[in-house]
Amino acid sequence: MIRWLVWFLASSGAAIACEATGQRMSTETQNAPAVHVAVDEIPLAQPFSILLTVCGETAVSEMRVDAVMPAHQHGMNYLPVVTAIGDDVFRIDDMLFHMPGKWELQVDVEYNGQTVSYTYDLALK
Amino acid sequence: MKLWVSVAFVALTSVVRAEVLLSEDEIQQTLSFGPWPPPIQPDPSNRGSNDPRAIALGAALFDDPVLSIDGALACASCHNPEQAFTTLDPRAFGRVLLDRNTPSLRNLAGLRWYGWGGKSDNLWAASLHPIVEEQEMAHSEESLKRAISESPYVSDFEDIFGDIESQNPELVLVKIAKALSAYLETLVTERTQFDDFRDALERSDLAEAANYPEAAQRGLQLFLGRGNCAFCHNGPRFSNNEFHDAGVPYFLSETEVDEGRFGGLNFLLSSPYTLDGDWNDDPDKQGAWAVRNVRRSHSDFGNFRTPSLRGVAETDPYMHDGSLNDLDAVVRHYSEIDTERLHTNGDAVLSELKLTEQEIADLVAFLETLSSATRP
Ligand code: HEC
Ligand code: HEC
Repeated sequence: MIRWLVWFLASSGAAIACEATGQRMSTETQNAPAVHVAVDEIPLAQPFSILLTVCGETAVSEMRVDAVMPAHQHGMNYLPVVTAIGDDVFRIDDMLFHMPGKWELQVDVEYNGQTVSYTYDLALK
Repeated sequence: MKLWVSVAFVALTSVVRAEVLLSEDEIQQTLSFGPWPPPIQPDPSNRGSNDPRAIALGAALFDDPVLSIDGALACASCHNPEQAFTTLDPRAFGRVLLDRNTPSLRNLAGLRWYGWGGKSDNLWAASLHPIVEEQEMAHSEESLKRAISESPYVSDFEDIFGDIESQNPELVLVKIAKALSAYLETLVTERTQFDDFRDALERSDLAEAANYPEAAQRGLQLFLGRGNCAFCHNGPRFSNNEFHDAGVPYFLSETEVDEGRFGGLNFLLSSPYTLDGDWNDDPDKQGAWAVRNVRRSHSDFGNFRTPSLRGVAETDPYMHDGSLNDLDAVVRHYSEIDTERLHTNGDAVLSELKLTEQEIADLVAFLETLSSATRP
């Protein structure tokens, strides 16, 4: 009973910390750790950064970030740079959306050799 | 008396009829094409940037054939200041006929890429390559150093950059290019009728904004809307400064193609004169992220940099190969574009617009308002 309570507190604490950092990304993998994305206003055709927070017990061994425009069949012209800036918090620099419209942010996170894919839709005026 | 009355009547009706046709959404989009001119920001990669002495030296050298091996060509031979820093030739003609149209050199400060294929990531490199390019001015580093040492410019050079004899020839080349670049940074197109319209909209001064011709307003609506033009031609310079296939054929002959961005990237990635290289004067190497992280893709082949549309009415003929004679021809090109010829994995924003004659005229009228002058 006591162990239950401790577990409950720990996990709800983690959930609150994660909620504070932006929107939750979608994934088709069941029971996957949540990934949240924080984005400020995105400038058109200029570099920008985003923050990603992973809410899970398992350490992240690798993270790959990309974005595509589903309607126009192309991705970004630059490879974004991922920097770990704290426990489970990552800053992604050198993102650049060179056209207005709908972009799909794609994040692959590797936990213990298992890769989980996440997506999130962003609209740029 | 009768005549006077009818003149007054015509004037009155045109005042009453003039109005702003744009929706609130279109007004918001229009604001993103300004303000103009942009704030002046010195180039941290060039110590000569914003230095009046370097600018003056650059301006003098730009006009002087001392920068070509045989004294036959100046930068200004192709980039003629009397003709908006280009010429009327479809493709540049100097020592030989080149494959591409000469771009106008205005509004170049602070871009991410230079050249139709983006072979340079900074303005001094874009000013350096023509000096040593075999097909352009054809100097070697040594012959350039000799030519400058023997020219009347040597004292100005030494005032700014120090004793020339003790410097290695490559350093002299880079410094000359940086002086040229400092000068080119100062070339900015003037404010236009479009800017007055845009600023009036920003102040919500609709009476003032209504002075902008209705044909140009309808053209702007097409530019933002059905024409999809602002997908690529956006921001205060009307360019996203990236690379696209706008449906202009890139065959040079039956067997040769202009590789566009593909060739530009090959050149860039083997060049010592990028922002990531040793010749950058900025210890922080701002801007070097682009050359470090730029990605190659299949669609680079035959892609070209989106040109700015500021001052466009003064710089005919158009496109990377100068194949379209006037703005009417450019708009008809987009109107009748052959999507079969576009890259299969290219930009799905271009489609045959099938514009009416009225719409073509409107779009041309809009493009003309982006210039303060037209070609005489
Ligand atoms: C023989 C004609 C010719 C001469 C001479 C010439 N240029 Fe150019 N210039 C061109 C052409 C053509 C291009 C486009 C090249 C390309 O993109 O492949 C160009 C491109 C440029 C660009 C890039 C512009 C942009 O929009 O990105 C700069 C900067 C430039 N030239 C500066 C100079 C300077 C400085 C000189 C003298 C040292 C010079 N040019 C001499 C024909 C010429
Ligand atoms: C997919 C991106 C894209 C779209 C959409 C687009 N353009 Fe362009 N535009 C370009 C590129 C790239 C070039 C240069 C193409 C070349 O030389 O091969 C260009 C060239 C031009 C030029 C010639 C400029 C010069 O100095 O040579 C004009 C004018 C122009 N476009 C106007 C328009 C108009 C009007 C529309 C809408 C009907 C439009 N563009 C839509 C990318 C685009």
